[in-house]
Amino acid sequence: MSTSVLPGTSAETKLETTRDVVVETRNLTKVYRDFWGRQKVRALKALDLSIFRGEIFGLLGPNGSGKTTTMKLLLGLLFPTEGEALVFGKPATDVSKNERIGYLPEETYLYRFLTGEETLDFYGRLFNIPAAVRRQRSAELLELVGLTAARKRQLREYSKGMARRLGLAQALINDPDLILLDEPTTGLDPIGTRAMKDLILQLRDRGKTIIMCSHLLADVQDVCDRVGILYQGELKELGRVDSLLKIRDVTEIRVAGLPPVALEEIKGVVERHNGQVQFIGNPTTTLEELFLNIVAESEAHPGRRVRGGVSDGH
Amino acid sequence: MTFRQIFIRKIVYLGIIAVLLLPLFWLGQPATVGARGVSGGPGGLLAQLRTEYGLSEAELGEIDPTSEAMRLATLGLRGVAANILWKQADTHKMKKDWTSLSATLEQLVKLEPHFISVWRFQAWNLSYNVSAEFDDYRKRYDWVIRGIEFLKKGIRYNEFEPKLVWDTGWFIAQKIGRADEWKQFRRLFRDDDDFHATRPKELRDNWLVGKEWFQRGEQMVDQGAVLRGISPLLFYSDRPMCQMNYSEYLERDGIFGERAKRSWVRALEEWLEFGNREFPTSGDEVIRLNDREALDRQVAEAAARLDELAPGLREKIRQEKLRRLTPEERIALETLPQERTVEQQMQAFQAEAKITVSHREVAQRISGPNRQEALRLADEAEKAMEKSERIVQQRTIVNFEYWRMRAQFEQTPQALEARELIYLGDEAFRNSDLIRAKEYYDKGLAKWRELLDLPEFPQLVKDGSTGRELLDIIRNYQRILDARDEPWPQPFILQDVIDLHKDRHPDFQVPQ
Amino acid sequence: MVIEKVLPPFWTWFVQAALVWVALIVVVCVFGLLLASFVLTVERGFKRAAVSIGRAIVEAFTDLIGAISFRRISGLVFLAIKESIRRRVLAVFALFILLLLFAGWYIDPASTNPSVLYLNFVLSSTGYLIILLALFLSCYSLPNDIRNRTIQTVVTKPVRISEIVFGRVAGFALVGTVLLLLMCGVSYLFVISGLSHTHTLSSENLSAMTDPQGIVEGYTGFTSTVHGHKHRVYVDPDGKARVEMRHGHVHRLEVSGIPPDAKYSLGPAEEALLARVVVYGDLQFRDRDGVDTKEGLNVGDEWTYRGYIQGGSPAAFIWTFAGITPRRFPDGLPLELNLGVFRTHKGNIEKGVLGSIAVRNPRTGLTVETEIFESKEFALNQGVSTNQFFIPRLITKASSVQIIQRKRIGPQGVELDPPSETLDHQLAKKQEFDLFEDLTDNGKLEIWIRCLEPGQYFGAAKPDLYLRARDGYFALNLLKGFLGIWLQMTIVLAYGVMLSTFLSAPVALIATLGVMIGGLFRDFMTQLAFGQTWGGGPFESFYRLITQENVMTQLEPGLGTTLLKMADVGARGFLYAAANVLPPLGEFGWSNFVAYGFDIPGEVVLIRLLQTVAIVLPVCVAGYFFLKAREVAE
Repeated sequence: MSTSVLPGTSAETKLETTRDVVVETRNLTKVYRDFWGRQKVRALKALDLSIFRGEIFGLLGPNGSGKTTTMKLLLGLLFPTEGEALVFGKPATDVSKNERIGYLPEETYLYRFLTGEETLDFYGRLFNIPAAVRRQRSAELLELVGLTAARKRQLREYSKGMARRLGLAQALINDPDLILLDEPTTGLDPIGTRAMKDLILQLRDRGKTIIMCSHLLADVQDVCDRVGILYQGELKELGRVDSLLKIRDVTEIRVAGLPPVALEEIKGVVERHNGQVQFIGNPTTTLEELFLNIVAESEAHPGRRVRGGVSDGH
Repeated sequence: MTFRQIFIRKIVYLGIIAVLLLPLFWLGQPATVGARGVSGGPGGLLAQLRTEYGLSEAELGEIDPTSEAMRLATLGLRGVAANILWKQADTHKMKKDWTSLSATLEQLVKLEPHFISVWRFQAWNLSYNVSAEFDDYRKRYDWVIRGIEFLKKGIRYNEFEPKLVWDTGWFIAQKIGRADEWKQFRRLFRDDDDFHATRPKELRDNWLVGKEWFQRGEQMVDQGAVLRGISPLLFYSDRPMCQMNYSEYLERDGIFGERAKRSWVRALEEWLEFGNREFPTSGDEVIRLNDREALDRQVAEAAARLDELAPGLREKIRQEKLRRLTPEERIALETLPQERTVEQQMQAFQAEAKITVSHREVAQRISGPNRQEALRLADEAEKAMEKSERIVQQRTIVNFEYWRMRAQFEQTPQALEARELIYLGDEAFRNSDLIRAKEYYDKGLAKWRELLDLPEFPQLVKDGSTGRELLDIIRNYQRILDARDEPWPQPFILQDVIDLHKDRHPDFQVPQ
Repeated sequence: MVIEKVLPPFWTWFVQAALVWVALIVVVCVFGLLLASFVLTVERGFKRAAVSIGRAIVEAFTDLIGAISFRRISGLVFLAIKESIRRRVLAVFALFILLLLFAGWYIDPASTNPSVLYLNFVLSSTGYLIILLALFLSCYSLPNDIRNRTIQTVVTKPVRISEIVFGRVAGFALVGTVLLLLMCGVSYLFVISGLSHTHTLSSENLSAMTDPQGIVEGYTGFTSTVHGHKHRVYVDPDGKARVEMRHGHVHRLEVSGIPPDAKYSLGPAEEALLARVVVYGDLQFRDRDGVDTKEGLNVGDEWTYRGYIQGGSPAAFIWTFAGITPRRFPDGLPLELNLGVFRTHKGNIEKGVLGSIAVRNPRTGLTVETEIFESKEFALNQGVSTNQFFIPRLITKASSVQIIQRKRIGPQGVELDPPSETLDHQLAKKQEFDLFEDLTDNGKLEIWIRCLEPGQYFGAAKPDLYLRARDGYFALNLLKGFLGIWLQMTIVLAYGVMLSTFLSAPVALIATLGVMIGGLFRDFMTQLAFGQTWGGGPFESFYRLITQENVMTQLEPGLGTTLLKMADVGARGFLYAAANVLPPLGEFGWSNFVAYGFDIPGEVVLIRLLQTVAIVLPVCVAGYFFLKAREVAE
């Protein structure tokens, strides 16, 4: 996976090899064709990606950039045109991998004629969970997502937020090791959003791997360890959130208790290099800026892997 | 496409639909009833046509909710559904599944209650075709009745359809009365309490019941119902014919004397009444079957008066024409009819036509003051002749003259006695009482002789139907004689009948 | 009852059907494999195609056999039931009740055989409703799931695609089962109440029957008319009464007092709803020269179901029964016979045609004529009692005893059975005959029916004579009738689910409907496939159609004709396969059995059950492959 190891993340390479790879894609490509087999949309282009145990990985990109396609390829809902996706080392189309996966779809695709309780029981059965365990776990999960009171109501009566929370509960019914969350915070109010983010972090702390995709930058920024930025089916950026957000040709020095002499010295050094000291320390950019940069860059040089205004500094 | 465009498009479609519906609404507008008896508007064209042809549901007959529900349920595919049912009925009939056949017909008529052909065809199917499939005459009878009941139901739905009523009469009269098993059928019919309900037993004769139905049909037409597809002449002949048949079957059942006579008298009355009825012909004229004799007399009178105006003229013209014939024609004409060759028959026929002198020819040869009068007379005679000929044509269709004569001679004491004697003779023969049989036959044949010799019926001995009947009687007589080993009497009392009719019945063996 | 398509004995059927089934499965598999390889090779290249197919096959084995979990299926069944309830399947039951409420408008209780109409009505209306329901449930369920994307939440669980297909079919079948049971119960009540009636009889209705000496032998008359019929009753002077069967039933007549001035009361209708357990024999004909033939004469009927024999000649119907043992028929043989009668002359209109019934031992040729009877034709169809005979175990009265050899035309000329040298003429000298010792050979015995009047004909088909072994329970038989509907429903469900795995809902609906309707033409397609129809195969007949060529004329020989014929030969295999893939739904209707009062034989039930399994399983497997090969997300 030489191409996937970006210079910016090479520091982590050593680390990666020592950690378990949960999800791996090689040259994963998806082309949508029409009825006659003619190519319609190239939704994903040669994606190489590794996701490791215990991390929260965010897939970021505007609508139609290929985030959901990637998710569905990983889940086996779609079949790759080229390349392959491995989950827990098995092909994504292998059903048995689902034993350890929890999936919260983009919109809550649940049966509206079932009640909350029946929904969890139904999905529990699909995991072949014995009845007693099912009952206990549904109760816990309903409690967790705050739907205990609404458990006897049919989903058609649920609000969007309630349905979303029940969706999360069903994704956790099998106590999965890998959780895929498609736009987890849509339809949630600010408090709900906060709770969801907290829950994601909690799950990570319990050793789960989480892949989430979102077009809401704030979500990703807040919870993700690493993000991949997709645009028009191509992976434009991949890395740790903190490192991606550093402006590398700008240095910010923030020091406490440095004697003025030392400062003068530093100034001297800077001036000797024709620099100008404004403020010493590293500033950070926002993800939003990064994102807009990538989009602008892609449009200027289509097809090139961009490094959105971020230098190669280590 | 934006929402707005879609919306506008929908509105336009709705508008077009409304505009297209307008003429339909206008055409289909129902008639209105004005207040206090004042007639309202006649309604749209469709409503008018409906009234004109008597098609509106309420006017046709009983309204049946089951039928209505079924028709609605087919959602306009009634024709298709009816077709399928018709085919099913055919299959059931082919596979002899009578229960399903009746059930299917039941559904079919509920779907198409005003399609008269369905009622007529399927009733015929039940009474004539299905009944014939059975071996047990009682079951055959059951199915004949089933066909009749089917028709009666059809009448309930179509109260103004004389054809169905006429059919009902026909089935009751003819199917029961003329089937191979007429004896059994008539007996079962008499005993059928379910069919007749309260009708007293002695009136449960199929001919009488049939007659009532024919009468009902006649009344219906007289009150304005439209008769389609049946010639009025035949339509009106059936009722009096029922009385004829009733009289005949009375005698077959062994009832003679006063009762038979009364019946024949009645038959004659009704037959003459029928003859008095006016029928339209192909011209604008109406004719009455009874009028022929009067017309013929009229012709004869006119001709006589014409001849009075110019005595001998007619014969003169005839002689002139005779002279103009070719020699062959003359020879053909002079040869006796039996001896003519085929060619001569033709020539004679043409010659006859050539030498016929019409009244007009005679009149035109008259000059002077009488000419006007002559022409008028000739015209009168020609017209009457023409009409008379037309009546003759119509009379042939219903065999008017035969039945008139029949009803007349059957009421004579000679005929009544002759019939009774022959009947008793047959009975005796059946019971192997040959002596009595011969006695009765001898007496019966003598009575027939008397009858044939009556001056009122000079044509009777020549009549074909009577001839055939007599030949049958003669044949039976021969059988009785054969059984007794007796020789054929010489001379035979009805020899003239044998001589006149034997040629037309080659299967008849002339007794020696 | 008319049975036009007689099923062969179970094992004969099974062997043949199993062979065809296996062959067909192999053909379909090979065909599917070839198609899949072709498509995949075009799409992805040979190597990847081979890998995919290999993997699909391996996965299919685990998915279909190894990994199936009943808990997961139970979950899907539960879902299907919930979905059905959500989609208001109970409305169908309400509709059924509504239909029954209005059925009285259309069913004529005065019909000659009302029970047939009633039963046919409930069975056919239930059938239509349930099949319609099955169509909609099965065809709309999966496509809806895919459209609403709810399927995505399901397939990302460790559920096998096979389980999704089976769960759907099983779930809907369960719903249908409950509905059918409800309908069966209501139907039973409906039929019972619709047929229930009684008549009244009073002494005025009776008239005395006297013998020639004027001594009263008994009384006869009619009951009151109810439901369009009345019964003739005979009352003996000592009060014993008999009621004649009309419209398929009789009533019990209680006489209290001394006739005629007694009190009469009639009971409810009896014998209208029967479940006769009958034993059929094999029918052969003997022609007027006494030679065995396969078919009887045709007396000009379009329908060739019944063959006719000539009266007053050696011609006979010969039914051979097997398994006649004293244990099964301890008292003797109860027989029922339907006859078609065809007369070439009027004969005696008032009387039926005379016939005779005889029993023959197929080994010794001993033939004992036990009775001379008067025909009652097609009696059963009309709901009037049929010709019934009872051949007692000990036959003491015989109208004639003979040794008869059967004649067959074999390759070596006329063969006699039994051969003349083995005949034992002493057998015919006996006065009394034991049914099982003298007339049965190893459980086999022949019943001969002859027509005695010259110029008249009898007609019969195989099911027209049977042994009425015993009477089963009507309610149970009705339930079996509903089982027939259940089987049809299950087949429709399987096809609907299978087709909806790759078609959109309305298209799947039409396709399933097409399959069902196509099933009605199975026999025709088989005939086409074997070249048994006039006018050639599909291509030739199409040519004839457009050129308006008569089916009987020979086509002009030439290249075109040869090509047409070759194309037809090619089409035959396809037609044969198609005919066998299409479900023979029509043959599952057992309403006639129930309606005409015959117990549905266990063998028939078994055969149809196996047929259903043989259809449903492969169809579900096909559904599995289709759904598996499909991306459920877009």
